Amino acid sequence: MKQHLFILIISIGFCNFAQAQRDTIQKLDEVFLSDSKLVQYTAGIKVETLNDSIVKANPVSLTGLLAFNSNLYFKENGFGMVSSPSFRGTNASQTAVVWNGININSQLNGQTDFNTINTTNFNAIDIRSGGGSVQYGSGAIGGSIHLNNNLEFTSHFDTQLRLAYGSFDTRMTNMSSSYGNSKFTINAGVAYVDSNNDYKYLGTDRVNENGAFNTINFNLNLGYFISEKDVLKLYHQNYNGEREFSGTLVAPSNSKFEDENYRTMLEWTRISGAFSSKLKAVHLNERFKFFENKANDFFSFGKVSTWLFNHNLNYRVSNRLQFRSILEISRFDGGGSSFGNPKRNAFSATVLMNHKPTTRFEYNLNLRKDVTSDFENPFLFSVDGAYRVSNTYAIQFNASKNFRIPTFNDLYWQPGGNLNLNPEQSYQIDLGHTLNAKAINFKLNTYYIRTEDLIQWRPDNAGVWMPINVASAQSYGAELEAHYSVSYKLNKFSLRGRYSYTISENLETQSQLIYVPIHKGNIAFAYNRKLFSTFYQHLFNDAVFIIGDTLEGFNVANAGFGYQFNKNGKVQYDINLRIQNLYNKNYQNVALRPMPNRNYQILTTIKF
Amino acid sequence: MKLNKLLLLTLSIGLTFTSCSNDDDDAPVLPRGDYENGLLISHEGNFGGGNASVSFVSFDLNTVENNIFNAVNGELLGDTAQSIAFNGDFAYIILNVSNKIEVVNRFTFESVATIDTGLSNPRYMAVSNGKGYVTNWGDFTPTDDDYLAVIDLTTHTIIDTISTSYLPEEIIAQDDQIFVATGIFGFGNSVDVINTVTDTLEESITVGNAPNSLQLDAEGDLWVLSSENLIEINTTTNAIIKTVALNSSITAPSKLNFDSGNLYLFSEGAVYKMETTAATLPETAEIEGVSFYDMNVSNGVLYGLDAKDFQSAGTLTTYDLSSNTEINTATLRIIPGEVYFN
Repeated sequence: MKQHLFILIISIGFCNFAQAQRDTIQKLDEVFLSDSKLVQYTAGIKVETLNDSIVKANPVSLTGLLAFNSNLYFKENGFGMVSSPSFRGTNASQTAVVWNGININSQLNGQTDFNTINTTNFNAIDIRSGGGSVQYGSGAIGGSIHLNNNLEFTSHFDTQLRLAYGSFDTRMTNMSSSYGNSKFTINAGVAYVDSNNDYKYLGTDRVNENGAFNTINFNLNLGYFISEKDVLKLYHQNYNGEREFSGTLVAPSNSKFEDENYRTMLEWTRISGAFSSKLKAVHLNERFKFFENKANDFFSFGKVSTWLFNHNLNYRVSNRLQFRSILEISRFDGGGSSFGNPKRNAFSATVLMNHKPTTRFEYNLNLRKDVTSDFENPFLFSVDGAYRVSNTYAIQFNASKNFRIPTFNDLYWQPGGNLNLNPEQSYQIDLGHTLNAKAINFKLNTYYIRTEDLIQWRPDNAGVWMPINVASAQSYGAELEAHYSVSYKLNKFSLRGRYSYTISENLETQSQLIYVPIHKGNIAFAYNRKLFSTFYQHLFNDAVFIIGDTLEGFNVANAGFGYQFNKNGKVQYDINLRIQNLYNKNYQNVALRPMPNRNYQILTTIKF
Repeated sequence: MKLNKLLLLTLSIGLTFTSCSNDDDDAPVLPRGDYENGLLISHEGNFGGGNASVSFVSFDLNTVENNIFNAVNGELLGDTAQSIAFNGDFAYIILNVSNKIEVVNRFTFESVATIDTGLSNPRYMAVSNGKGYVTNWGDFTPTDDDYLAVIDLTTHTIIDTISTSYLPEEIIAQDDQIFVATGIFGFGNSVDVINTVTDTLEESITVGNAPNSLQLDAEGDLWVLSSENLIEINTTTNAIIKTVALNSSITAPSKLNFDSGNLYLFSEGAVYKMETTAATLPETAEIEGVSFYDMNVSNGVLYGLDAKDFQSAGTLTTYDLSSNTEINTATLRIIPGEVYFN
């Protein structure tokens, strides 16, 4: 995807010849990509794409992938348990997860559990830093994570089987297949993970009890040209998980959590001259059951069914100017043990403008207004741009107003639900520098985020906990990313490092928010020679404040190597060995919830 | 260092006791530990957060020592210290989410035993006939797994269980009987009476909805405060003597206390006082604009705990009840839950 952007930018420099090419690229984007605005309307935004090889080297959850390969910080309640991300000092419900262009954060708690996202069945995972509510809706305050399935209209038929076995009786199976020609394409995949997860708590004689889990993911995507100008696309994903919820060092647990997510999107794309139109019908279904005691049948539950219709109309006035309108109407039907059967209707209208006044300068102006049945929404805007100072150096900037709407839990939970809540509102600015030399790339971003009307649960006079718009917070900091790669004969080296400095303060108390590390960094090193490959990745996480205390920082590293067999044969396969927590460090990213000791994984991928 | 000091102290106490055992009358009264003659404050800490603690505070609130279990024993106390019960030299710290009871010497806070089997969401404990009776919720949803665990206080083991009529919460002992308030969050309306000789449930007295406080007055009558009314019960006949209705100012009362012929309760940010002989609750408050997570009244002084926003340090504030004025404030730890006199 980044390549496309690169081509786009480069092509600006050329004239007539390049223009035809660019038209084609843009049309192809509309056809291949599930979310073309992530490429076309993001000039001033830091977007990083994690390519296939990085995703494959980090099976299988989104947590493990991003902790070592992005600036995101994670709180994980033990391996495989609930995992919540934090972007630029904001919280999990201020981080949007976007599946093929659709915001899939839970309507119940406003978050996505990153351990429920299996990365293997996505072609590209993009990390979009900074506010994106205008384009991606509620919760895109700190940033958004984009899970994309792209369609390949070329003649092919590939099948791939991945098998892995590791410590704590962890098994992973993933089978995927893709078929296509110039008119029709289909790909499907299934991924199953199962683990006893009974790892040792280092420094004690105990193990992680009640932590076993199994999850299954299924993806199906297809596209079909019904005419030269019209493409029908279907995207589907579902997840089913059954996880015991482990306790802490001082509290045992015998609870269990079952959750399911179904996501289906039917899309009709029509490209006609300067216009391209996309009509989407989306159905999302989330449900969970929580068993306080897994040994008996009592559970509490929550569910939301969402219907959403979305229309995108893109109009290219000229090579330098294009507009897009997005209209979305949605209906949410909830239900649960603690909040009856609430319903919500929502409508939003968005206008985007992309303008390239000169070959060096490009900017976007975006506006959005939401109307929701339960509360008032702010008017949102964003402006972003990029200026190419030289062939190697560019400046990016953006400013935006973003929001996070109250969740079903906030509004309807009995007792406590508060119907008088307002959405959280956030303003931010971001300045980025990118330097792309031959072997070296640098990115430096500095930002400021101020969020008001933060929704927090507090007990009222009668001792009933209820959410109120009470606090305000500010975050500011810097993110540095550097990438160096070099090839020498048959040897390929790549080194990528990221560092983030984050101050996130409660404006009332002037103190750093809990669970926000001031320093976080990671380094990934990869080396390939012919059929052999090896990698090393290292994560440093600074100490964090927790309620009434401090949680120690930690260093943790993974390493692995692999070998490819039969590279030119009909059936290719490779074998990889992975060592996680290489130095056998005793660490916790949530207080009193130890993470696994050193553990091993053997993995094979068979392609035919 | 702390440990060494304590070791020395206990050693010296032991020696002194041995040497002085025959002439008690002349011996100076030696402290039995660092934590005698003061207040013990149990802190729930955050539910699931594992940051429960106990603080020691001098009666004048000028000396505060937080997290004393951890300081003395070098290990974490556990998750959600709901309450502390006392018997002889021992204190029993009941850890709701950890499903355990830490038994410590109440004056030195040295760990004596840990009871961690047979408990399921333990809440409060009372002592009768050499046995500890611990209310247990069991799992939250099912209503047929609520029980009292009966602990042999010499061996620190659970020897019996007694089913209660509903979620058992506060518990209080009177001779060979214990009384258990069952009900919470707007459900349940009885006080179970258990005979501690036979360890059987003898009777369930119907009281107001969700009984939240039990107190014995000077005459040995049991007072039960609920979200519906205040009831006085004769503990010999288990008959209701008096029912006092709530009024327009007191709609959600809790934290019942007795002190010199008066009873005190807390309702929606205010403290009210009623003479035990009165037939109705007062309309006007003694102290207003406070937020007490718990309070305790003794000898004309009110000890009020404020848990603040449940994320930052809580406080203990004392009030002189003759003038209803503040005396002193001490800063504590996260979510202070109960005050005890040690």
